[in-house]
Amino acid sequence: MALFNEETRRSGDAATRALSVTTVELGFVEKVYQGIASVYDYTYGPTLHPGRLEAIEKMALGPGTHVLEVGVGTGINLGLYPSKCRITGIDLSSKMLAKAQGRIESKGLLNCDLAEMDATKLTFADNSFDVVYAPYVISVVPEPVKVAREMYRVCRPGGRVIILNHFKSANRLMGWIEKIISPMTVHIGFTADLDLPGFLEQADLHPISLEKVNVPKMWTLITVVKE
Amino acid sequence: MPVDAELLEILACPACKTPVVLVKDGTALKCGACHRVYPIKDDIPVMLIDEATVEP
Repeated sequence: MALFNEETRRSGDAATRALSVTTVELGFVEKVYQGIASVYDYTYGPTLHPGRLEAIEKMALGPGTHVLEVGVGTGINLGLYPSKCRITGIDLSSKMLAKAQGRIESKGLLNCDLAEMDATKLTFADNSFDVVYAPYVISVVPEPVKVAREMYRVCRPGGRVIILNHFKSANRLMGWIEKIISPMTVHIGFTADLDLPGFLEQADLHPISLEKVNVPKMWTLITVVKE
Repeated sequence: MPVDAELLEILACPACKTPVVLVKDGTALKCGACHRVYPIKDDIPVMLIDEATVEP
């Protein structure tokens, strides 16, 4: 299987290889999400929903707050934001974005706009957004540290960087299981064994809070305020 | 729905980080520095270097 050959294992940056047994290529990620665009809302929608609501609470949204949602996907979050906020969603998958655009049009979400881009090369100036949010994205990208640094760069000082993700369990048995299954879960779109302390250190993120969300509480909500 | 004016204000070229401007009757975005042109497909700007063309 091409994903597991040596060449693929060498892909991703050195920092990422240290964080997980599995590294993925950007083209592969795009292919996975192009493939699941039509079923994502049904398969990943309900189980991951409580975390999405808690993340939005962490944003301290007010009128005019401009949010960048990294990995907006099918736009499943877009209707959850207050209409007085401005939301820009980006994704690498054009099929996911087409679904999001359909949602924007059918629900009349005039406060939302979209762009197709690579999260490791955000095409925005420094300090452009009040909130930069990545829901369930960090473990599906080849270079999570690079994405987190880009998120921090485009957030304004005093603004919030919010990351909702699964990280390797602190429980030794669960951590071992996640390490074993990680090369398999990558086929449904995520790396199961990403190391949270290592990720935070390498991305130079200093959270004001870390919370466990969803049922079971396997997911972490990271809130960082930019200095 | 055309590309939002506020979004246009903060978009930059992924290659050289220079602001981009609307060209071709609003169907593409062009970087004034490196002359890359990024398509707008179904009202969504495609800000990927691989998808850009370079035009004088």
